[in-house]
Order: sequence, then structure tokens, then C-alpha cells
Amino acid sequence: MGFPVSLRIDDAGPPARVADAVDAVFAWLHETDARFSPFKADSEVSRLDRGELPADGISADLREVLDLCEHYRVATGGAFDVRLPGRGLDPCAVVKGWSVQRAAHLLTAAGLRRFCLNAGGDVVAAGGPWRVGVRHPDHADRLCTVLDLTDGAVATSARYERGDHIVDGRTGRPAAELLSVTVVAPTLTEADAVATAAFALGAEGVGWAAGRRGCEVFAVDAGRRVLRTPGFPGTGERPAAA
Amino acid sequence: MKRALPVLILTVAGLVPLWRYEPSAGTAATAQPAAPAPAPSPTSSSGASSSSGDAPRTVQGTAVDTEKGTVQVEVVFEGDRIGSVRMLQQPNHPQTTAAVPTLIEETLQAQSADIDTVSGATITSEGYRESLQAALDAKGA
Repeated sequence: MGFPVSLRIDDAGPPARVADAVDAVFAWLHETDARFSPFKADSEVSRLDRGELPADGISADLREVLDLCEHYRVATGGAFDVRLPGRGLDPCAVVKGWSVQRAAHLLTAAGLRRFCLNAGGDVVAAGGPWRVGVRHPDHADRLCTVLDLTDGAVATSARYERGDHIVDGRTGRPAAELLSVTVVAPTLTEADAVATAAFALGAEGVGWAAGRRGCEVFAVDAGRRVLRTPGFPGTGERPAAA
Repeated sequence: MKRALPVLILTVAGLVPLWRYEPSAGTAATAQPAAPAPAPSPTSSSGASSSSGDAPRTVQGTAVDTEKGTVQVEVVFEGDRIGSVRMLQQPNHPQTTAAVPTLIEETLQAQSADIDTVSGATITSEGYRESLQAALDAKGA
């Protein structure tokens, strides 16, 4: 997958413990990439897709990921689908949030209480408040909103970085009704998958995501209209001069 | 009365699917032995006297087991028309209890602000070098 990961830890713990926890996080993320990347021929995902593994011969982690994929496929009436016709199995949209959420668990398990983990634009935060800006869909150096996050996760799906990469599984065509969907949820597993699934659903995805328990939504549609849930966390406004 | 009759038949025809409607497609086959299916035939009353002047009649639907729990509705008829429908039993399940919140519509703003981190579409390592997050990381380092 290949995305940059930034980890900020504001904890007064022993430096050795912090360093060990950081090492564990990056080791886990590298392990995840090796095991679940569809772009690596020897990954478990690639081997399963080539029929080299029996259905009951996959790891518990991959089973959990595939169960999550199926949950979101059913919940979106097929708009979110990691097995698109004519393409290989690609569970990246679930693997990313799931693996980064587990990385955050490694930090809390090590006793760290205040950190902010950003994996390619998806954020898990603990012990905030952390001020999280949401990138403006048209301007890479601007924000379209800022939120305070104490403990939780934020994920954004959009097509400004990698083009039309999210396909609506119902039509087989790239989803294009929304410019950007940001979801705040208790875990990044949920936030990331819901953001991607809502993007795949298009305009109806905003209401769909808003109806998910624990999810708050901020979406920008193709007409550059913002739709957000009343509970979407804002901030004590502190915008700098534009 | 002659003109009213086809309308009533249509109304009845429209009601039949309503009574037959079961909220869950998945487990529609579930048997419901205990429930006394009051299933009022709207035909009897509407056939006799037509629309106006009838006192509202309250009818309870059959309790239907769905995979989310038991669902039962009560319908109040005003003459031939459905005056209101309310849930007598509904499952305590997120899909029925979580009302979809109203969405607030706003205009898109472009702002700068003092922030700790940035959420955005997944960026590649190349894209990262020019990103806001890279600037924040450089500041913190």
C-alpha cells in the first residue's frame, strides 16, 4: 500500500518503553503489509485469491478482515465490495483502518495515554484534545473544517489524491457523486470502512453513514455543498487569517 | 355508489399487500403460531357502507417475528382510509431504534488553522512530501 505514518506521543513515560511501543507499532504495520497486501505475490491475500489456501486455512486475522468486508458489503447493498468482478481480492479499504486501530491498541497496551497516530490521512487519537484538520478537497494546503478529538478516530475518503479509485460495486463504475467524506467514529476500523463505503454509495452514503451508531459525518458533494451531522465535533474556533 | 365501487376495490387491493407485508425478507417463513391474526377484512365494512361517517376502527396486525425481533403494528382506519399506523412492538435493534439524524447543510469553507494533524484521502509517500502533514511533522521534529 505504501503510505506515510506519523506518530506523535506526548507521554511522560520512560523513553525506553515509548521507544519499544513505537517499534512494535511500525513492526506490526510492516507485518500487515506483508500479509495482506494484494500487491505482494506471496501475501496471504494473494495466495487466497489464487486458490492456494483452503477457505478454512486462513489466519484468524484474515478471517476477521474478510468478515468485516462482508459486513460492509451487506450493509451497503453491495456498493462496498472487495471482490469486484474482473479484479483480484482487494481488502485494503478494511485492512488499513483495522491494522492502524490495532497499532493504536499496542500503544495503549504499553501504557501510553496521549498519542496521535496518522496513517496516510487516517487518524487514531488518544488522550486529547487533538486538533484534527480535514483537508480541503480542492486545495491541498487548506482545510475545510477542524475538529477536536479526545479519544477516537477520523478517516476521510476522497479522490483528489489517487483519482477514481473507489468503485461502486453495484454499477462497477467509479463513485463520483461525492468529493470527500470524513467520518468520526470510536475506532478507525469503523471510521475508515464507513468513509470508503459512504463514498462508494455516493449521495445516499451521507445519510447511510450518519445512521451508523457512533458515527459523525462531514461530506462535500460534487456541487461543493457541505452536509454534516449535528454531532460532528467542531472546535473552539481558532482559525488563522486565511 | 356505482362510481364508488371501483375505488373501494382499488383501496382494498391496495390494502392487501399492506397486510401481507412482512418487515424482514430474511425470515419471512418463521411460523407465528401464538398470534391470533385479527386480520380484519376491510372488504366487509367498506362493502357495506362507503367512505363517510364511519367511526375510526383500530386494528392490530399480526405479530411477526423477524431476525431483528418481533414487529407488530396497529392501524387506525377512518372509513376506508388509513388514519394512522403505530408500532405496538418493535425490536430493540439499532436498525429500528437509531433514527437517521437530520443533516446540516453548509457552504464549503477554505481555512487555515493551528492544528495537530490532518485527515485526508490516503496519500502516497510521494504526495506526503508536499502535504500539510509533512509540514506538521517537520515542525514537531
